Amino acid sequence: MEHSFLHSKKILLVDDEPELRKLVADILADDGFFNIVEAGTVETGLSSARQEKPDLAILDVMLPDGDGFSLMKDLRTFTDIPIIFLTAKDEAADKLAGLGLGADDYVVKPFLPQELLLRVHAVLRRCYKADSPLLELDGCTIDFSRAEVNKNGTIISLTAKEHTLLETLSRSEGRIVSIDALCEALWGDNPFGYENSLNAHIRRIREKIETDPSKPVSLITMKGLGYKLNVRK
Amino acid sequence: MKVFSKYISKYLLSFIGLILVLVAVNIAAFAFTFYNAISRNFGSASPQDMLREIAEASSADGITDEAETILTANSLWAMYLNTEGSCNWTVNLPEELPTEYTIQDIAMFSKGYLKDYPVFVWSDENGLLVIGYPKNSYMKITSNYYPIDMLRKILLFFPGIAVFDLAVLFLAYSHSKAKISKNTEPIISSIAALSEGKSINLNLNGELAEIAGSINKASNIINRQNAARANWISGVSHDIRTPLSMIMGYAERIVNDKDADSRIKEQAAIISRQSIKIKDLVQDLNLVSRLEYEMQPLQKEKIRLSKLLRSYAIDLINSGLPDFYSLEINISPDCENSMIECDAKLIARAINNLVQNSIHSNPDGCTIILALQITENSLLLTVADNGIGISAQKLEELKNKPHYMESTDDGLNLRHGLGLLLVRQIVEAHHGTIEIESKPQEGYKTNIYLPL
Repeated sequence: MEHSFLHSKKILLVDDEPELRKLVADILADDGFFNIVEAGTVETGLSSARQEKPDLAILDVMLPDGDGFSLMKDLRTFTDIPIIFLTAKDEAADKLAGLGLGADDYVVKPFLPQELLLRVHAVLRRCYKADSPLLELDGCTIDFSRAEVNKNGTIISLTAKEHTLLETLSRSEGRIVSIDALCEALWGDNPFGYENSLNAHIRRIREKIETDPSKPVSLITMKGLGYKLNVRK
Repeated sequence: MKVFSKYISKYLLSFIGLILVLVAVNIAAFAFTFYNAISRNFGSASPQDMLREIAEASSADGITDEAETILTANSLWAMYLNTEGSCNWTVNLPEELPTEYTIQDIAMFSKGYLKDYPVFVWSDENGLLVIGYPKNSYMKITSNYYPIDMLRKILLFFPGIAVFDLAVLFLAYSHSKAKISKNTEPIISSIAALSEGKSINLNLNGELAEIAGSINKASNIINRQNAARANWISGVSHDIRTPLSMIMGYAERIVNDKDADSRIKEQAAIISRQSIKIKDLVQDLNLVSRLEYEMQPLQKEKIRLSKLLRSYAIDLINSGLPDFYSLEINISPDCENSMIECDAKLIARAINNLVQNSIHSNPDGCTIILALQITENSLLLTVADNGIGISAQKLEELKNKPHYMESTDDGLNLRHGLGLLLVRQIVEAHHGTIEIESKPQEGYKTNIYLPL
């Protein structure tokens, strides 16, 4: 299974509506998550969090004995697990986006199952890196811990910038990462006019990881948008 | 508000015009009424002319017959006094009058009346011709002397006082105009603001405080109603969301269920597609109503629109855009770093609504183009497709037909669908403009100009 290491993560689900809780649990179970803890109130949510030590919490904003925001504050007193909010209010979503309460993401109801799964996967991937520092690509293997590429037995070392670039891309494997996000990862905020330097780095990485750098299969250009790293299935 | 002072000036001008017309009418009426009297007094029957005529037709010895006839015809009498004070001759002399006069008598009547008869005298070397008019036919002013000095002053006085009066009138006018304007302008402009649906709060001091109070009250009532309506819509849309999540979620589960019958899967797919429509509607409805009633404060920040457009496009592709849609993105290099102050979430929402429109209108696929260019004073954001487009008539309707959210007309002939209305509202909230172009089979294109 592609995301097996993510699927083993324990998820705490707090929502006062039992049917919605069941739906979310079913969606997560269908995707392969098997460690799901449910709670209906702030109080039971807190005690479950203490006992079960989940890796991710999905919280409803409106709960019978308080709101999700205060539950998050209480959780933060003893754990740093990522938190995704479920909200039925655009206004609450604005608050989440605007104030930066420290939530990792939010999903506005009504949501499609794949929307929720996308967020859950993204947050888990961001917070829990794969146990193995090895990334299998078509034609080579990247060892992030040693900043090395093993291409058919030849060891090629990566520069710091190339390492950062590949790591950023691998965190969103199979999905497009924007030019802006890559530039920000390399040069910090307001990276105006670095597109040409970025192109140069990408070219050099391709020479190291691709079998035929002029016909890339792993590091793909999405014209005008960004780049995508395909991993070996 | 210049309207009011213009209005006052117009009134004043017409008033001045009226005064001028009245003066002219008065003069004409006066001339008409007194024409006879004037012609009599200054014409052939006037004492002046009569006296000359009679004097020429008479002498110390007597009077001609024609002159006597004229006197009788005009009911006048005459006598001729010699230097001794006695009558040489008389014509029609009333009986009550003597024929001998002392020098004192003559001195007394020559300027005025003889026993209440107004008399006029003509002197020649031999004596004095006296013509008498009937009693009460003329008034003679017996003490008519005025100092020359004063007469001169009067000539200056009348124009002077007229100028002074006019100046005072004008000062009073401009003062009261300024005062009225000062008092009424805030009220007039607040009524104008109210008619645009803006909230107002007038200062409650001054003479017109009562009116200001009423206007404030009206504004509060409108605000309360708008807030209640927006909250009502927001509440309903909130309550729909949780049940809708479950409908969407379970319909999708059935679609993806490997064990389910294909017929049931198809039906679940329909439920899923339709619930997504309701979802979009619910989200748009809430935002449209909040923007409409100004309940949605813009969270403006300076951003690079190019970055926003790219990240939107990436989210769209990453969330699984079906293969028969392709996305092209053309960001002109010269606007790569153009910053614009906007609510990023709302702009992304507007772009998404336009893209979703293209997707829904072209179920068999199309190319969607997102472009960004810089013009003289704005950024031009284009969302276009090469799909089926719409007819000229539909395009006209889209541009001009009122939307049901903005109309009190309850006819069915109004525009439906919230997606484009929301786009327009978002663009307007950013002081931008929007253009739609489309031809059948030649795609659909929306240009959004956002001021730099």
